Amino acid sequence: MSSNISRRDWFRATAAAAAAAETARATQTPGQRGGKRALQVATNCEMCFWRCGVLAKVQEGKVTRIEGNPQHPLTQGRLCARGNAGQFTLYDPDRLKRPQMRVGERGEGRFRDVSWEEALDWLAARLQELKQKYGPESVAFFPHGVASTFFATLMKAYGTPNSAEPAFAQCRGPREVGYALTFGRGLGSPEPLDLDNAKVIVLIGSHLGENVFTSQITQFAEGLARGAKLIVVDPRFSTAATKADWWLPIRPGTDIALLLAWMHVLLNENLEDKEYLARYATGLDSLREHVRPFTPEWASKETELPPALIRETARAMGAAKPAVLVHPGRHVTWYGDDTQRARAMAILTALLGAYGQKGGILLPTPFPRGGFRLPPFPVSKRGRADGAGEKYPLASEEQGVTNGLVEATLTGEPYPVKGWIVYGQNVLESIPQRERTLAAIRQLELMVVVDILPVEQTLFADLVLPEATYLERYDAPHIVETAARPFLAVRQPAVAPLYDTRPGWWIARELARRLGLEAWFPWKNPDEHLARILEPSGVRLEEAKARGAVAFEGRPYIDLRKPEDGPLFPTESGRIELFSKTLQELGHDPLPVYRPPAGPPPGWLRLLYGRAPVHSFARTENNALLSGLMEENAAWISAGAARAFGLRDGDRAVIENQDGARSLPVVIRTTPGIRNDCLYMVHGFGQQAPGLSRANGRGASDTGLITRVAVDPLMGGTGMRVNFVRPVPAEGAES
Amino acid sequence: MARYAMVTDLTKCVGCQACTAACNSEWDVPAGHARTRVLSTGAVGVFPNLRSAFYVAQCNHCDDPPCVQPCPSGATFQSADGIVKIDKELCIGCGFCVTACPYDARYLNPATSKVDKCDFCAARLERGLQPACVTTCTAHAKYFGNLEDPSSEVYRLVYARGAQRIESDDVKVGPNVYYLGARGEPDLVAETFPPRQPRMPSAGQWWERAFKPLAFLMVGATFLGQAVAFFTQLRKGEGQFDD
Repeated sequence: MSSNISRRDWFRATAAAAAAAETARATQTPGQRGGKRALQVATNCEMCFWRCGVLAKVQEGKVTRIEGNPQHPLTQGRLCARGNAGQFTLYDPDRLKRPQMRVGERGEGRFRDVSWEEALDWLAARLQELKQKYGPESVAFFPHGVASTFFATLMKAYGTPNSAEPAFAQCRGPREVGYALTFGRGLGSPEPLDLDNAKVIVLIGSHLGENVFTSQITQFAEGLARGAKLIVVDPRFSTAATKADWWLPIRPGTDIALLLAWMHVLLNENLEDKEYLARYATGLDSLREHVRPFTPEWASKETELPPALIRETARAMGAAKPAVLVHPGRHVTWYGDDTQRARAMAILTALLGAYGQKGGILLPTPFPRGGFRLPPFPVSKRGRADGAGEKYPLASEEQGVTNGLVEATLTGEPYPVKGWIVYGQNVLESIPQRERTLAAIRQLELMVVVDILPVEQTLFADLVLPEATYLERYDAPHIVETAARPFLAVRQPAVAPLYDTRPGWWIARELARRLGLEAWFPWKNPDEHLARILEPSGVRLEEAKARGAVAFEGRPYIDLRKPEDGPLFPTESGRIELFSKTLQELGHDPLPVYRPPAGPPPGWLRLLYGRAPVHSFARTENNALLSGLMEENAAWISAGAARAFGLRDGDRAVIENQDGARSLPVVIRTTPGIRNDCLYMVHGFGQQAPGLSRANGRGASDTGLITRVAVDPLMGGTGMRVNFVRPVPAEGAES
Repeated sequence: MARYAMVTDLTKCVGCQACTAACNSEWDVPAGHARTRVLSTGAVGVFPNLRSAFYVAQCNHCDDPPCVQPCPSGATFQSADGIVKIDKELCIGCGFCVTACPYDARYLNPATSKVDKCDFCAARLERGLQPACVTTCTAHAKYFGNLEDPSSEVYRLVYARGAQRIESDDVKVGPNVYYLGARGEPDLVAETFPPRQPRMPSAGQWWERAFKPLAFLMVGATFLGQAVAFFTQLRKGEGQFDD
């Protein structure tokens, strides 16, 4: 039944696609670039992980322009600055151009060029050697995102369970765990948020606008334009805060106190969604009892927010329920109690009846996908080395704990980790405590980096494998089930790989062949792989490739009038668990408990960091167009704090942390838009990579200043907002 | 007849600079320059009572464009649809229009030695496309259309929703880029980035930057025509503006 609807929908969509293709052809008239006919290739972006749909315009074998693909179901033709600048990464002269093998010491950066044949033969031999000496688990894999699908298959087939990406323990892991504990499933990416239909939007530290995911910004702006009220909780007057009806400049680290007080007001004033809770939730009485003491007056002392403001914002949420979107955040590894804060946000969402309701959090819809039947992967008897499932009981075994792998490498516990394969991830920038990461790397017997640019970590590699960029390669398709309409988006090359670079799928399969693991790579080419995935959807390969993406109708809302087909909330109880028995059994707080954070000592500021709309992580700072928009970061402090440090707006200062770590000199920006006790900077700068001619040595690195972390005991996440810093005028710093 | 106009909704704009990047890519704008810039007023006020707005600044295609008259070669002109254009063949890169623009919307492209600025993506309009900044805007904050067409979105935004021009008390040249804002963003932008008085070149600058290059470049009748234009404009320029 539902597949019939999907099929019909598909034919309608195909007709529209054909019409659009006609239009596209008609518009391929001579452009301003020399009158040659242009070819447009539909693919998806990899300048960040949102993977917006793009059309790459190719003229005379070169990508000359990238625009949004209007047929992409989620991003609908919109593209951020990074997406628009993709060809500048493709044509970055600093790119890694051919395989290189280390000849000097680790970190020295002396390499010799080798052929792919030699590089892969050597690597396969080393991998076999490590497997024999220490077992396959001794090789750890550091991937990032769907681009690493084939490499992930290779590593599993090789026999190591040790794979970890920063997306979990340095980013959204606590949120996934906190929401899964409450609703039975995590949120995933892209976040399933009904921002455009919300009547109240609540951002807790989420700096939408500076943090740009195209469709999320589109929906956020649309929501605001439709009159949604906006509550922003942030120690800094962020872009989002400039648009807020209520800005709550909270004392950092006290969010749980605020969340408990909000729950207190909702329950105390009968503002919760009673019908929804009665039907779907369990543990309401315990929660009511738990939050009774947490009045706005109590929370005010912790958060430094006026009680009236706490009450007023809670009432605004209560009045707008269930169309209240409490944004779950994305990078949420802040203070080590992050899973519990995510729980508090999930519970608040539940009290407002907003999960599965219009204007709240959307339900996922499965995408009908096929695939090859692969042989079962070998199962390790030694378990994981990163502590996922054991030391960190709720950590994802799919995404792993990066810092757990660093720890295991350093200590040899629970067993030796001797080889790292780093793919599309920048371990020195993404994992905090970089000195520990470097120490771990120095102990390795094998360090391999697959990347497109000579980022700092390549200096420490035994073997550097230059990958083709996203505009030159196929990747596994991007399948999204967390959007209002589930979809599959195609990644296909616009141009052939430059230099002697190769796509990741090719590298993985060639290695598999050398390791006798071909059985896990049964497809002839990426097209065949994609065609098999598409099979159950009834969509032809050529059609998918022409459009760039295919979508089906989703069921994002719970229909309260109808009985459900299946369990809405796959928790143990089948209901929304306000009170978590799972946490109780693990010996943790079954309801979120506020514990006051340690504040900065006098003379110190708390280091906060965030994103700029024109850069992704430490990935895009060398892009010529984007570097032109922002070539270095600045440190924001209040004018009062600046005076105390003898600094004025525009001065240069070195930022020093509590352990004596120092940044490169950075411009001080004074603003009334930040609390007196904080210093803020954009992440991704201050890179120490001589091969990056634009990014090297520009600005300050927040990662370098994060020498301490508060580890979340539930899932191993590294809380990173626990470092205190002070700006030292640049002259003084040089002495 | 058309009168093209752009409206930017500053309540929606998040300052992401997708417009700048799309524009730079579309028009090969060298790093450090832009035809469309995103500026911020910064936080204004006393903590925690603050305001701030973004300003997407570009050529305003003014009703009375101060950049046209000082152009010695006639490269800068206004077409019938209101778009102020630069004929790159004629531009001698003297930069007089750059200093004349009250909105700092023009720059001298070091790669081509020609002046460049937003032309509402005229080449895209001819292909039936919207300007690159409008197409890409992540917040759907930009609207482009014909202000003389009552059925257009820009007509509605300007005449029904009260989109504003960024003007100052002494500079009112009829900009055709408008701004919307539910929280007084356009006023804050006008206070922070008021258009300035057009600066006209001195006689010395004319000699160095316009006459000499023109003298080299122009021959025969072209030269004569330009020389006449030059002296006419010089007289007018000095009469109107005291630099």
